[in-house]
Amino acid sequence: MIRTENLTKVYRMGDAEVYALHDVNLDIQEGEFIAIIGPSGSGKSTLLNMIGCLDTPTSGAVFIDGIDTGKLSENKLAEIRREKIGFIFQQFNLVHTLNALENVALPMFFAGVKRETRLKRAEELLANVGLGDRIYHKPSEMSGGQQQRVAIARALSNDPEVVIGDEPTGNVDTETGNTIIDILEGLNKEGRTVVVVTHDAEIAARVGRTKRMRDGRVLD
Amino acid sequence: MRDKLLMAYRSIRERRTRSILTVLGIAVGIAAIVSLMSVGYGMEEAITGELTGMADMISVMPGKITGHAYVELGSFTDRDVNDLQRIGGIKDITAMTYDAAEVEYRNKRAPIFVLGGDTKELGGFYVEPVGIKEGRWLRENDFKGCVIGDRVANDFFDEVIHVNDKLIINDEKFIVVGIFEKASTLYASDVDPHIFLTLHASKEALQNDEIKYIMVRVYNIDKAEEIAEEIVERINDNHGLDDFAFAMTMGSAIEMMGDVFKIIRGVLVGIAAIALVVASIGIMNTMLMSVMERTHEIGVMKAIGAKSRDVLTLFLLESSMVSLVGGVVGCVLGVVAAKVISLVAGTAIGIEFSAVVKPEVLLGGMAVAMVVGVLSGFYPARKASRMSPVEAVRYE
Ligand SMILES: Nc1ncnc2c1ncn2[C@@H]1O[C@H](COP(=O)(O)OP(=O)(O)OP(=O)(O)O)[C@@H](O)[C@H]1O
Ligand SMILES: [Mg+2]
Repeated sequence: MIRTENLTKVYRMGDAEVYALHDVNLDIQEGEFIAIIGPSGSGKSTLLNMIGCLDTPTSGAVFIDGIDTGKLSENKLAEIRREKIGFIFQQFNLVHTLNALENVALPMFFAGVKRETRLKRAEELLANVGLGDRIYHKPSEMSGGQQQRVAIARALSNDPEVVIGDEPTGNVDTETGNTIIDILEGLNKEGRTVVVVTHDAEIAARVGRTKRMRDGRVLD
Repeated sequence: MRDKLLMAYRSIRERRTRSILTVLGIAVGIAAIVSLMSVGYGMEEAITGELTGMADMISVMPGKITGHAYVELGSFTDRDVNDLQRIGGIKDITAMTYDAAEVEYRNKRAPIFVLGGDTKELGGFYVEPVGIKEGRWLRENDFKGCVIGDRVANDFFDEVIHVNDKLIINDEKFIVVGIFEKASTLYASDVDPHIFLTLHASKEALQNDEIKYIMVRVYNIDKAEEIAEEIVERINDNHGLDDFAFAMTMGSAIEMMGDVFKIIRGVLVGIAAIALVVASIGIMNTMLMSVMERTHEIGVMKAIGAKSRDVLTLFLLESSMVSLVGGVVGCVLGVVAAKVISLVAGTAIGIEFSAVVKPEVLLGGMAVAMVVGVLSGFYPARKASRMSPVEAVRYE
């Protein structure tokens, strides 16, 4: 499903070079639930951004469904982000002027889905994450956990094959964290590939496979 | 498309305060352009309009202007007037008597200049451009009637004079039949401080029938200079003097003011340029700020699958709407401001004029709002949409 090949990202800070990723070779199978763990600064977010097509590598390649994403145009990459990947951020990153319903419908808006259709689907998705009674709330009117669930619903709006979460439980309490993991587990059971970064050992224990990172490298 | 418009509108409405500020930022700039230009045009028109209305006039006086003072050398004769009638190209001639008289009103006395002439001709020169505020203009048989200028009515005596009040002019009793409006600058010295009588009455009151002033109207303004020269020549011949008569065309008066116009124009262009620059910078600033602070939002949109084009369309729609509203509000504010400024400035400098709102100024204002507004919204939106999603999301 997703494969990286000598994936390297270098940040230049003045004269110094920081290897955020260093020759990462990772193979994620379709339908897999994989957790990436590692100390702060080890390159976990950078890796997720690369496989989520949010950033471009310094060298190496990311293959999604066998397609070399480095060879794709900006627009094609946007389409992959829109159709194939659902990205969940640690900071939620909802659009604060839109309510929950509109936030969830936003990826469908960009996909050109009709208004009625996308609002209906957005409502269903919100009901699925237990927010059926909060659809007209603005992000500022919701708790962190609720916002993160809106973000998950949004990630699912175009029915992606891959769900990527960068510390999706990092900013919520343990209980909400568990709910979120339950939801992710459910998505995995539906057949979606799920990739999460986490600091939480308990989460790591619940998933199929964990990969540990250090200094930009994936350890075996 | 309707969907996108709706979305853009939502986004504007949700950021109400920000949007209102942006609209105001644009509106103030546009209002500056519109008001300054309209006031400028109003001033220019007030001056040129009046002069061109008088451009066919030639004033003839028995004397000369040395420096700034007018020195009277005598008076014209009936023969002078008859001779002028024979010059081609002249539409009408008014001969006037003119002298100071002692005027009494309710036991108060004041020296006032009295002007007498053919009522029709005199009326033709003054009644139409200045207007009668109260009562009516003189009739041929108004031997005991007089019409007074605004200052005579309001300033010269302790009490204000009204129609039907009695004046004693050099011991002759007169009844006020009409009062002029306050004259605009160009006519003020001719009308405001004077009392107008019929030719007959003025002969009686002033105890002489000396012609002190002749006004001539020509058919063709281009010939005015030529005719003025001929007038001077004929009168000088009649009196056997080289420089007895003095004739001034309005055309030459306008020419004398030509430099003033150049200055006014220059100032106008300068003001417009400054207003344009100030407005543009203001609009750019508000627009750049309001879009730049949304870089994060643009990043989020891109991260969830928006193409750069989608984001740009959305922001372009938004900035067009904001610019459009800003432009309209600016035009309205500008027109209102122009009216107020012209009123205040008019009373302050004593020239009455009203702002002239030209449609091209309004259109220009709208164009500036749209072009500058949309471009300065477009620029940061494009910059943000070209960042990688991660970069834009991280931007705070
Ligand atoms: N935009 C950037 N410019 C410079 N250096 C960066 C940038 N982004 C990341 N880095 C560096 O790359 C390395 C990896 O960062 P990354 O965010 O991937 O770590 P992480 O494993 O996600 O850490 P955390 O657990 O704290 O989120 C860090 O050393 C970081 O300083
Ligand atoms: Mg991270």
